[in-house]
Amino acid sequence: MQHQFRTPEGPVEVTVAKQGDVWHLGEHRATVEPDGRLRIQLASGGSALATVAKVDDTWWIHFEGHTFCLERIEPGASQSGEEGGLTAPMPGKVLDVLVQVGQIVEAGQTLMILEAMKMEHRILASTSGHITGIHFTAGEQVQQGSVLLEMTEDED
Amino acid sequence: MVSKVLVANRGEIACRILRACREAGLASVAIYAANDAKSFFVELADEAIALEGDSIAETYLNQRQILEVAELTGADALHPGFGFLSERADFARAVSQAGIQWIGPSPSAIERMGDKMTARITMRDAGVPVIPGEEIETEDEDEALIAIEQASTRVGYPLLLKASSGGGGKGMRAVERPEDLLEAARSARREALAAFGDGRVYLERLLTGSKHVEIQILADRHGRTIHLGERECSVQRRHQKVFEEAPCATMTEEIRSSMGKAAVAAAMAVNYEGAGTVEFLLAPSGEFFFLEMNTRIQVEHPVTELVTGVDIVREQLRIAAGEPMSCGELHIRGHAIEVRLYAEDATQNFLPAIGPLTVFQPPEGPGIRLDTGVRQGDEVTPNYDPMLAKLIVWAPSRDEALQRMRRALDEFVVLGTTTNLRFLRELCDVPDVVDGSTDTTMIDRLWPEGWTPTLPIEFEDGALMAAAVAESAGLHRKASVSATPNEHSGPVSPFMTLNRRYP
Repeated sequence: MQHQFRTPEGPVEVTVAKQGDVWHLGEHRATVEPDGRLRIQLASGGSALATVAKVDDTWWIHFEGHTFCLERIEPGASQSGEEGGLTAPMPGKVLDVLVQVGQIVEAGQTLMILEAMKMEHRILASTSGHITGIHFTAGEQVQQGSVLLEMTEDED
Repeated sequence: MVSKVLVANRGEIACRILRACREAGLASVAIYAANDAKSFFVELADEAIALEGDSIAETYLNQRQILEVAELTGADALHPGFGFLSERADFARAVSQAGIQWIGPSPSAIERMGDKMTARITMRDAGVPVIPGEEIETEDEDEALIAIEQASTRVGYPLLLKASSGGGGKGMRAVERPEDLLEAARSARREALAAFGDGRVYLERLLTGSKHVEIQILADRHGRTIHLGERECSVQRRHQKVFEEAPCATMTEEIRSSMGKAAVAAAMAVNYEGAGTVEFLLAPSGEFFFLEMNTRIQVEHPVTELVTGVDIVREQLRIAAGEPMSCGELHIRGHAIEVRLYAEDATQNFLPAIGPLTVFQPPEGPGIRLDTGVRQGDEVTPNYDPMLAKLIVWAPSRDEALQRMRRALDEFVVLGTTTNLRFLRELCDVPDVVDGSTDTTMIDRLWPEGWTPTLPIEFEDGALMAAAVAESAGLHRKASVSATPNEHSGPVSPFMTLNRRYP
């Protein structure tokens, strides 16, 4: 699932994907603990609990002794991932397509790279499955909400 | 006799005093402004009386109204805490005249220490070293400026202009060069006149590289005046202490003994009673100079309590009741550090912050003490001082105390309001703090352009992931940490009963 948060350095796009009970963001992994905290396993191998609380639109996160204040920017258009269609989070240009139709992908795998507002956004597979359609090639412009790729979710 | 104590304060220190009353078996009364009705301290009192009015002047500074509450509730003693009316001699006098025991020194002791110029002269006469400088008694602007100019050549540069009635940095100016003196003197006088109604300023040599070291005093009516060792509070931002410890890392037994003697002499010079603090500047040479005496309980008193084993607030109650203080011979044991948790943005020049305390999870475990004025679910408002709580640790050595403080600060979770937690945590890693060579200019020297956290990018990734997962998993819908109580729960059911059967 895709979310956008405001940080002191500017907006950041985050796409997380769930596989079983485990959430993926690239090489980082997370699980939800019974008490509502999150166990975050960083790609570097470090692991720590994050305490989270939402006040209005802002997520307050305590992680590794730091406190973060991340305001969620409401998505403009459709939510991606859930229905199998992966949509553009904002208008931009396709930089690269990393998969082919019929390819089997894993949750969290990068499928496509977009450029928007001078930032790169990676479109990740929200679940494991296989690609059933690709609608853009590198260099093409996309509108916010355009369906970029389609995939089906594997049955566990 | 003291049997019922009115606490004329709020927040963290009111909680500290109310708990001491409970432990001592004394009845307690809290007073509160309407915007404090749900504050923690109100809950800790046996009785809580709402004050009328909105502003601080109409409530916590309203002597007449507070005395009325004391009479109404039958309180026979009054603890002023710190700040507010705690150093107002006229209030101490009015309380005593109403037949209520003032928990603190006499009005005349407060007066003689409250005016800084008078305090300087009193201390010098008592043989306590004062910072080289000169008092300027005249009220007249032109005469004062001429006298200041003449005195400056004897005091030397850099020098400090200080308002005689000053406090909190108001009416204080550091002057580096003679050509800046007159303008600084005029503006210090203007500021002091506006803030305190008294434009008198005096000169002191500016002692750079010095430590702020203070001695805790206790004096009872049975002829005993003792000191409880020192605290070092050099780490300050905008003249506000943030990190305090006992003992001072560079203290020697010799300096402690002579500084302690000077502090006891200072207290005895004004027939002091109760708890008080004599502040000194300790120069790198080992020379020390009287700064001022605070005639009240101090914010940082817990570090002294932890290394001496003396319950200072409990001793205040005992002394006010006319009993001798209970502590025997004192030994300093181990090391204690206190940090002040402020609702403020350390990255924005320590600008006060407000908001809900959606999560407030203090650290736990051995050697940890939290003196708090807030609970999870409280709201931080702009009405009062932004200090929320004090975190204090004790350990056998200074190194271990710092290690414990780092661990405790890492565990401390406050969400919903910006605090200085991370600033405090990173202070614990500053080389000057680690080796104990802190001085009063450290924060300005280390971060002249303002402080920013040292943040590994991977931790930000982790936080962003946590936010995204929390949002995706709908954690905000599942766990409502600060559930607002239902105000409209309908009429009380007539069928609600409590049936308890006894065999």
